[in-house]
Amino acid sequence: MPQSNPPPDDVDPVYLNSLKDARFGMTFWAIATTFVCGSAWLTGYQRSGHTLTTDDIRPILGIPYWFFLSVLVPWVACSVICVVYAGLIMSDDDLGTDHTEELEQEIREGTDVHELA
Amino acid sequence: MNSPEPVRAELATFLALVVFMVISLSLGVIANLVGRTKTGFLKSYFLGNRSLGAFAVALTAAVMSGGTFMGYPSLVYKFGWVVGLWICSYMVVPVTVLGVLGKRIGQLARRTGAITLPDFFRERFESPMLGLITSILVIFFLTANLVAQFKAGALILKLTLPQSVQRAVGSDTDGGSAIDRMAKVAEAAADEPTEKKAETKTTAAKPAAPADPTANTWRDRTYVLGLVIFAVTVIFYTAYGGFLAAIWTDVFQSLVMAVGVMILFPLALTAAGSISAGTAAGIAQTGDSSFAFGPGAGRAFHPVGLAVSFFVMWAISAMGQPSTLVRLMAFRDTRTLRWSIIYLTLYNLVIYIPLIFIFICARQILPNLTRSDEVMPRLVITLANPYIAGLILAAPFGAVMSTVSGWLLIISSGIVRDLYQRFVRPQASEKEIQRASYAGTVLVGVFVGLLALNPPEYLQLVVVFSSSGMAASFLAPAAYGAFWRRANGLGMIAAMVTGAGVTLALYAVGMVWARSGYDSGIGAGGSLAPVYLLGLDPCVWGIGSSFLAGAVVSLMTKPPRTELVERMFEKDRPLHLHA
Repeated sequence: MPQSNPPPDDVDPVYLNSLKDARFGMTFWAIATTFVCGSAWLTGYQRSGHTLTTDDIRPILGIPYWFFLSVLVPWVACSVICVVYAGLIMSDDDLGTDHTEELEQEIREGTDVHELA
Repeated sequence: MNSPEPVRAELATFLALVVFMVISLSLGVIANLVGRTKTGFLKSYFLGNRSLGAFAVALTAAVMSGGTFMGYPSLVYKFGWVVGLWICSYMVVPVTVLGVLGKRIGQLARRTGAITLPDFFRERFESPMLGLITSILVIFFLTANLVAQFKAGALILKLTLPQSVQRAVGSDTDGGSAIDRMAKVAEAAADEPTEKKAETKTTAAKPAAPADPTANTWRDRTYVLGLVIFAVTVIFYTAYGGFLAAIWTDVFQSLVMAVGVMILFPLALTAAGSISAGTAAGIAQTGDSSFAFGPGAGRAFHPVGLAVSFFVMWAISAMGQPSTLVRLMAFRDTRTLRWSIIYLTLYNLVIYIPLIFIFICARQILPNLTRSDEVMPRLVITLANPYIAGLILAAPFGAVMSTVSGWLLIISSGIVRDLYQRFVRPQASEKEIQRASYAGTVLVGVFVGLLALNPPEYLQLVVVFSSSGMAASFLAPAAYGAFWRRANGLGMIAAMVTGAGVTLALYAVGMVWARSGYDSGIGAGGSLAPVYLLGLDPCVWGIGSSFLAGAVVSLMTKPPRTELVERMFEKDRPLHLHA
């Protein structure tokens, strides 16, 4: 069965590492989205029963409090995480042999043929 | 008002455009020399021999376009601090756009030998039909966008050509004062349909100007002159220099924009006195305290549903853009990929946050502008030395050029590799392919240039929805191809068609409603506004439906061949592609 998992020894390590990177990236995105949008909505959005006035700006270095908390701080934190992840955690992998020439040859020889779909 | 400063800035901008064009032509020649290899012309010409360095990947895969550089400041000036939330998903873009699929796409591109996106999907799923549909969609979407790009480039040149040249060809743009013409240059750059439709939304909000039916068509001689200069320049350096020329031009304009922001930031802060002064001025001028809060001054520009949508739009849909995927097939190695994430993180941090502060301060420096589109050129001209201002204002023109060259190559690669070589002349020699590639790039450029003489009306619809449409078409197949063994060709065809269809439907219905006078009250509004189903942008629905359709149809149809799955998911082995 093609969908069954092969023995671990055969599994491509680049695939496994890529999967790890993808999981990290999507989790990171989900947390950032939830925190930023959630905290902005709670602290910086006009909505019924939550009217904000100029007194609610509460500036930090001239920046509205909600923006400082919900955008600036997360942006700096995410940047640090991105740099640490890419610089220290993400693995270097061998991407393998480039088969461009073989594909080129197959096209020329007409052996690059598949079923229509 | 024709003050000396705007006049000098106008001349400086024209000179800067000339400098940009000369540099681009030079880069084309150098790229041609560097790209010459003994073997593999196609890989070298369309993919830079898979040798892109970290800086090039970072500054070209997911960085600001001319539209962002001009359109984003306008939004900040108009709606206030909430626009920072609109853009802030760039905080995670390096990891999502480059990190989530990057390594695996790079590996599979090598493993399959793919050099174009249709190549990639065709080989990964062993489906010629999928490759063909990809080719058709890419050519369709990008050609429509290219027409608008050519028009933007021609318009910028038309507006900056010296009056004497305009009189010599028998017309005069006569766009009012020099500064008004500079503002129109900015507007033309912002109108550039980037791969991010949000900027197009900005323009959609503009009131319709009284239309001169002959303006910016083949009957307008200055426009035609601008179009010819733009087309000849960009077609030459792209056709001659290939992928590397496109990349290097992109890097150059990105650096100029970055330097421009770094120069403007302290100048704006000093001129305004403080950021708080800008905020206070914005609230006073708009008469709305929402200038300091969400969802924005004047109208619900960015309700929280759209805030979530834009985290999808910038950080997720960018992963599925053809230009991004092609770059992920072209980086040198994983070390390059890691460093490109780091460079892009730092670039985003030092560009986008200062831009917010600068254009909040602009409320204090340039109060009550009736047209927010003018804020960027007016502020630059007000604060900077005319020649620096010229260079900063010319950077978006460079962005238009680099975007055009990248897309031209994607289209011509689709035609040469995926149609001509696959279906017409599989036995074509290397020399013949080389000639076809040069000719293909030139012909596509000429065809698009001719269309730009009088663009068909329906193209605007394609341009507006194409960014989300492309993401909805290609992201799911790319992600499934990278990580799901059970995905098959039929499932991916379903994903592409469903994603594009759902997105198009939401835009088409929105436009019909807008023409009947309906305004949902959210977003920037205008006649091109889509339907925001449950308050979410169409990109969310398009991408979601694409993933769903891909999964359902894959599971309902025959699984992929065992040999194919093993070859894609197990350790690399000698190539026996079609045993």
